[in-house]
Amino acid sequence: MMVPTPYYVALSSVLLTIGMVGVLTRRSAIMMFLSIELMLNAANLAIVAFARQWSASGAETALSGQAAVFIILAIAAAEVAVGLGILVAIFRHRVSTDVDELSEVRL
Amino acid sequence: MIGFIILAAAMIAGAIGVVAFRQPVHAALSLVATLLALAVTYVTLQAHFLAVVQVIVYGGAIMVLFLFVIMLLNVEGQEPAPHMKWLPPVAYLTALLVAAGITITAFVDRAPLPGADRIAALQGGSAEQLGTVLFSHYVLAFQLVGVLLLTGIVGAVSLAQRGATTERKERQTEEAAGERELSHG
Repeated sequence: MMVPTPYYVALSSVLLTIGMVGVLTRRSAIMMFLSIELMLNAANLAIVAFARQWSASGAETALSGQAAVFIILAIAAAEVAVGLGILVAIFRHRVSTDVDELSEVRL
Repeated sequence: MIGFIILAAAMIAGAIGVVAFRQPVHAALSLVATLLALAVTYVTLQAHFLAVVQVIVYGGAIMVLFLFVIMLLNVEGQEPAPHMKWLPPVAYLTALLVAAGITITAFVDRAPLPGADRIAALQGGSAEQLGTVLFSHYVLAFQLVGVLLLTGIVGAVSLAQRGATTERKERQTEEAAGERELSHG
């Protein structure tokens, strides 16, 4: 039996909000970054679920959604590489990943 | 349905672990568990190729990079308590509202699943199917992502390189100062 789309969307929203709580409550930059990855994956899950729902208007439409997820995966890889590079660069100077201490770029 | 419930439980447990574990290494491993369960969920959603890519790129490359950086920086688990005491309760409340809102909207506004023949036409989202769409309709996006990845690599290398060169310069000036002191003494 196939699980209907709303269940996947509900699961996706739960994962997204858990990630959101992580970003809001943790203070270490690495932990916030991990939570952001979780939110990104929650969004991907929703897109894949919607892609299956849209197969009603042709396989090509559904596969367009999967292509979007594929491109998001590649962008996430680039984002992680640059983000972790910035973290390491900050850590070299400050010996801390606490975001509250990194306030000099604030306006 | 039973499979979905098991997967959902595994993913939510892993996600809570990401947020709740004090040690970053434990949190990262918990995220790996979530991502692998997500890959299995992709299989149930007729996206087989994406499931494979998810395991290789996310479960493999990205999480190894994370663990590598966590161990390189030697980040310990002790985080100070947040400055703003009101923030965690507000965060939990907002999360609850957002999740409830999305869930209710999804169930109220639901449409029936397309017929089994339509879903079978996806052929499980195989590499051939996905590649045909990707290289016929989305060639430009694909190329641009390639350029973006290249830019990301150059950016990461230049970030690492800049730190290394400044450190080397600092060490050289320190050595020069030390030699000057020696010659004076």
